[in-house]
Parts: sequence; structure tokens; C-alpha cells
Amino acid sequence: MYSVVSTAIIHGIESIPVFVEADVCDGLPVFEMVGFLAAEVKESKERVRTALRNAGYVLPAKRITVNFSPANIRKSGSGFDIPIAVAVLAAMGVVAPQSLAGTFLIGEMGLNGKTQPVSGILPMVAEAKRQGIGRCIVPPDNVREAGLVSGIEIFAADSLGAVLAILRGEPGGICGPPINIEETGEEHKLDFADIHGQKLLKRACEVAVSGMHNLLMMGPPGAGKTMIAARIPTIMPPLTADEQMELSKIYSVSGLFRKREHLMQERPFRAPHHTITMQGLSGGGVVPKPGEISLAHKGVLFLDELAEFQKNALDVLRQPMEEKTVRLVRLHGSYDFPADFMLVAAMNPCKCGYYPDMQRCRCSAQSVSRYIGKISKPLLDRIDICVEAPQLLFRELNETQAEETSKEIRTRVLETQQLQRERYRGEDFSYNSQITGVKVKEYCCLSQKQEDYMGQIYQKLNLTARSYHKVLKVARTLADLEQSRDISMAHLKEAVCYRSVDRQFWEAARD
Amino acid sequence: MNYAYWLTTIPGIGNLRILRLLAMAGCAREVYGLSKKQLEKTHLFRPEEVECILASKNGDHEREYHKLIESGMYVCSMEEEAYPQRLRDIANPPFVLFGRGKPFSAAKKTVAIVGARQCSEYGYAVAKEIGGALSACGAVVISGMARGIDAGGQWGALKAGGTTYAVLGCGADVCYPSTSRNLYQAILEKNGGILSEYPPGTKPRAGQFPQRNRIIAGLSDVVIVVEARKKSGSLITVDLALEQGKDIYAVPGRIHDALGEGCNYLISQGAGIIFDVELLAKDLNLSPVSDAHTQNLNNFSLEKEERLVYSCLDLQPKSLEELLEKTQYSMQQLAVLLDGLIQKELIAENFKNYYVKRL
Repeated sequence: MYSVVSTAIIHGIESIPVFVEADVCDGLPVFEMVGFLAAEVKESKERVRTALRNAGYVLPAKRITVNFSPANIRKSGSGFDIPIAVAVLAAMGVVAPQSLAGTFLIGEMGLNGKTQPVSGILPMVAEAKRQGIGRCIVPPDNVREAGLVSGIEIFAADSLGAVLAILRGEPGGICGPPINIEETGEEHKLDFADIHGQKLLKRACEVAVSGMHNLLMMGPPGAGKTMIAARIPTIMPPLTADEQMELSKIYSVSGLFRKREHLMQERPFRAPHHTITMQGLSGGGVVPKPGEISLAHKGVLFLDELAEFQKNALDVLRQPMEEKTVRLVRLHGSYDFPADFMLVAAMNPCKCGYYPDMQRCRCSAQSVSRYIGKISKPLLDRIDICVEAPQLLFRELNETQAEETSKEIRTRVLETQQLQRERYRGEDFSYNSQITGVKVKEYCCLSQKQEDYMGQIYQKLNLTARSYHKVLKVARTLADLEQSRDISMAHLKEAVCYRSVDRQFWEAARD
Repeated sequence: MNYAYWLTTIPGIGNLRILRLLAMAGCAREVYGLSKKQLEKTHLFRPEEVECILASKNGDHEREYHKLIESGMYVCSMEEEAYPQRLRDIANPPFVLFGRGKPFSAAKKTVAIVGARQCSEYGYAVAKEIGGALSACGAVVISGMARGIDAGGQWGALKAGGTTYAVLGCGADVCYPSTSRNLYQAILEKNGGILSEYPPGTKPRAGQFPQRNRIIAGLSDVVIVVEARKKSGSLITVDLALEQGKDIYAVPGRIHDALGEGCNYLISQGAGIIFDVELLAKDLNLSPVSDAHTQNLNNFSLEKEERLVYSCLDLQPKSLEELLEKTQYSMQQLAVLLDGLIQKELIAENFKNYYVKRL
């Protein structure tokens, strides 16, 4: 007898439907599974056989064939135990085949038949709904996540027995609690108002977020760089419904979603340690899992101690920063992960961290230059705004004066971004930081006087064409922050203060 | 054939042994004529070194010497008239001086300006001012061309139209540190000279620098220390200068200032205090300086805001954040004001986002 069960596998952050077919027929007693299976799926055979016996179902002494279709995609993951068990039981005639129509099954199973959660439920259920499937049976720990997809019935089954009960139409499956997909209105726990002083950094953050510029903070240890970076997501615009779903899928696939009660509503803030590998950043594994740059999608990727990161790990950032997505190619196919993040980096100005405070810094000029030189030029080129973060003065620390809240800053950011989106309608970019080389002249036009001034600056600061453009783009954002149509001299002068460091700039400007 | 040149090119034989050998043999030419037995009898060399000396005679130093002269360098040994008289008086004088540019002559008053490599902006500016002022009254500045104070003093002299000599711890044709390349060129162009006791091509090695300090001290009448930490090469120079009976002057530093400790210590030990460059010049019997280059804020009419920003600045670099905090201006206002002051050349942005008053 033949039976078929719907389930799915994860490919990147999307799900591909898979059908588990089982057939029991006369022949030598054998339990065979085919269909391009990874090792963990092949092992499933033993789990299923034992779990079935422990649940009181004895496999008949017949030829049992299980096929996974489509056969050209490699099947991996541990969620096939329940689908295989149910397909075999259906082929044995224990489960009615019509009860399987329009039902999606997933779950790992122990030898006693108890179900275990799997990762990547959200994209699977979303895909199942798109396929027109009406109900899903998932392990209890996955029920919240599955419930985020509306318009599909979700059942939780804690054991094989419970799955069968649901299929028979008996009450017993726990239905997932209704889940609120709307914004829960939960306030950010972090707020810019917590930070006293550091006006320059705060201003730089506001400008950076407004134009989606990448940001580099340089300063001695204990200047509050990490504290400020962690608050950047709080001044970014709220995520749209599509973005929330996309981000939630990434977290679901990575197995980081389980305890959440609603879609990802806060923009992520990822701060990987500087020992992270290339694969850790970009995503990796035989079956690739999203890396830190994808987990920071639509949010902030904060790299503290930038100069301590492995050089090759940092260079991995270059392509995703341009393309906003990362493509990993493996033997069994290529995987695309979204990676549209804002890079916020922090570093000490030298080994000891106190340069240019000559009272405390004893690094030689070469060692300072070598330290800065650890960061590759192409990466620095992608960072528009660079600011100094000096150590906090005691007075600033104890200030009681009320500081601006994230909410107030966010209002300005929203307005500025709106302005840019309108201006760049019809272009293939939407923020100032993304203006392409040729378009800089069009969108950042200067008066004759301003051009003369920038000419001087170009000479004096020894700028490159690229760093010159960066100054113009930042000046554009500064103008937008004031809702001003033209870039003024003051905007330019402020933008010059945010120019990037370079080995050559980062030396005493003497004879 | 230049026997003095030959003598300095023998590997492993240092200046001290050359001097002893000369004391025995009389002159370099005699040394060249010494047989193996005679060399062994001096008890200055191990057997393998004797072999080395004899073997070196086979080298083509004649051609090497000519190549050196052609490349614009000169060699001056103690056996020549042109050798600076004052160097003969110090302990362990270099037997040979290699040089580029103008040979050293003692016709003018010579001042050594030495100090820390990792100096403050203030220190650099002061070194430059002293170098400029003294060379404007005709003094010759001598230093080691190192980064920081040394370079400051020498640049000051060059900008004031004076001459300056650099004594290096590597070959005179090697520009060390490489960041001083501009200075190296400027010294040669402006009628100054580069000196070294090491043969051309010698790489800079740590041990050679304290050695060259004795030449700096030996060539100068006065040693001026601008900024120095407590344990530093500048103080070695001072010790050597004291042994040679030279006058020491120091620029006082603030207490608790790591870069002022060395100078303040020297002052406590009796070094001259530099608190006025004109007075220093008088002290050194140099004609007074014209005060054309000292700028006065009163000559400028500053706007109220600019004046406020200017008053917040100091000779120590101030960060943008500090200025924002002190002035309470917005980032944009401050950027405009700072730029205005930079245009008026009253302040400088010496590091990115760090500002300092100009002297």
C-alpha cells in the first residue's frame, strides 16, 4: 500500500516542500530509505523503527520502501522522524490516507516516541501555507513560532501517539495559543537618554542612521563606544511587516527563535567577538547556516576592537556591504542569505589606546601606523563616518541634565529617511550612503564657492576621490537632517570633521 | 689610497680599538703596513680578527672610496686638518666622520636641540621656536633628525633660514627615520650637513644611537633639552655633554607631566631654565631676535564666538568632544568656527578631530 506525507527542508532561509512516500509490499523483509539523504536522515530509520515498536506498532515482515521526493535535492535535518513514522503507518493501513491530505508534519522523535523541536519552523509553515496546506502538526516547543503564520491551523503534538490522535480527529492535540502579530508596543530597554555627554558620538550616530552610513568610532578603552553602539537600533525606523518576517525566518533557521512570542520587531544588534572566523561572519557549514552578518540583517553589526579581527574575516564583509546579500556556494547548491546591515565599528587609536594623548601613550609612530594599517583600505573606504570618542570627563558622567531620548532622535531620522526615499524614487538606491559615483554630482551639487573650498580641503587633507565623495554624501545627509534642499558651507565643514581616518591622516600634521 | 677609510671598513673593529691601535702605530698608513706578527703583539685582537684585518687589505677599498666621493659624500679623519677641533677633545672621538652636504665648521655658535620622539604638540612647537630664534641670530642647530623634538628644532632652524647639522646613528646616506625624508633633503638643500661615524650603508641599530649622542654633544657649545621623559636618550646626551663640560639648558615642564619630568629633573640639578627665547639668545651671547614671528591674538579681531572657541583651546590637543562640551555649541556651529580659526592660522587640527593653539 502506498502513502504520502508533506513535510519540508530548509534551503538558505527559505523552505522547500518535500514529500515522504512509503510503500509496504511483499518481498524480503527490508526497511529501505532513498532520495539523496544526509547521514542524519539515514539514521532516522533506526529511530523510527524503535519508536514504532515502543508505541506498539510492529513493522510487518515485508519490504518497506521510503522515498523522499524531489530526489534531486539533498535532504538534511532532523525533522523527518515524524513524517517517516506516519508515512510508514499509513502504508501499513494504521492511519487513514485521507487524513494526511492537506496536513504538514515535522518533528524529531526520541526512541520513546516523544517529539523534539526543530529549527526553521517559521519558513516551513509559511511555505506550507503558500502551498495551500490547511493544518500543521509540530512539536510543542515549535508551536509559538509556527503560530506566527496566520491562516493555517497549528497543532502541537508531544508524542507520536498525539500525532496519530490528531490525525484521527480526536481532541488531544494542544492548539497553539493565539499569537499577536501586531506591534506589541514593547518599549526598547535601551535608550540614548541613558548616555550623558558624548555629544559628538550621538550626533554622529544620528547622522549615520539618517543616511544609512557605516560608522567607525575611535577612542580609548572605556569611552562608551559599546554602550552607544548598542543603542543605535533604537533610533532606526521600525521594521515593516515584510522585514519582520524575513528577519524572523533568519532567526528561525538559525534556531534562535524558540522562546519568542511574536515576530522580530526590534532591529537586531549583533556584536561578535573579534576571534570570529570568516565562516562565522558570512555564514557557513556543509549546509550553510546564516552568519553574523545575516543575523544583523536590517540592524546593526557592531565590530568592537576592529583592528583585532582577522584580516580575512573582515574582508568577507566587503561584498555583502555592497550587495546587501551574501551568496554561499556549496557542493549541493548555492545559498543566498540577506545581509543588509549597518556596520558600526569601534577601535582603539593605537595598541595602548591613548594616542594622541602623549601623557599616557607610549606607542611609537610606527606602531600607531601599523595598528591603523591592520584595517584594509577597501573596508575603510566603505565607512563614511569616522569620529573620535575621547574618554568621558568626570563632569559629563555625573551630569543630571536630561538627555534626548531615542524616540526624539528617531523622529528626525524617520523624516530624513523619508525625504531621501522620495528623492531617490526611480533610482536603484534609497539612501545617501548608497549614491553611486556618477550620481554624486547630480545629488550633491555644490556652488562655485563651495567647490573652491572643497578643492582646498582636497589638497590640504590629501583626500582621495572616494573619500571626497564620502564627505559630499555625508554633507547631503546633514542637509537632509535640516530638510534643506541645498548643501550649505556649514554642512560641508561638519562633514569634513567626520572624514575617515587613513594611515596618512592619522599622524601628527607637522612639517 | 685613503688608509683612514680602509681602517673603518674592517668588520668587527670598533672605534675604540682603532684609536688604541693608532696610539701605538702613529697613523693609519702605518697601521696598513703592520705585519701579522706586529698586529698580534698589540694584544688588541683575537687571532681571527688579525686574519680579518689582513684579509681586508685585499678588498678594493680604493674603488669603493672613489665611488663614495662620487656619490657626493666625504670622509674626514682625525688625521686631517678639517676634522672638527672640538671633537678631538672628547673621550672616544670618532676616528672618521662620514658626511653629506657641507662639512662641519666651528665658526659659529652651535646649539644641540634634543628631546623626546613622542613629544607633545607644545614641545614640538617650542623646539621649533627655539631652533628658529637661535638660528635667526646666527647659531647652528645640531640634532639627531629623529621624529619629535629633534625634527622640530631642525625644522625651526631651516624655516628661519639657518643651517643645521644632523648626526645619525646609521650611515650618512641612510635616511632614518624614513619619515624624516623631507627634513633630510631640506638640510642638504639649505647648506647644512649630515654626519655619521658609521660607514655608508650602515643600518640603524639601537646600540649606535647612544653612541652618536656623544658626537651631538661634542659638536655643540650648548645642549638644549625641550621635552624628555625621566629615562630617555636625551638625558644620555646631557650626561655626555656634562662630561665634556658643556652648558645645559632645559625647557621647564609642568609637574605630573611625564614629558616634563626629565627637563625638570635637569633644572633641579642646575641646568639653565629657558623661559624666554630672547633671554636665552642673550645668555648665549647671540644678538637679540626680532619678534616678527611671534603672533599676538590682539592683532586679530575675532568674533565673539570664535574668541570663545579660541579661549577653550590650549597647547595640548583638545578633542572635538571636549570642545562641544565646553562651548555648548552644536556640532555644525563648532565645525564652522573651528574652520574659521584654522583659516586664520590661529589653530591647527594636528590629529583628526583634535585641535591645538598655534604658537
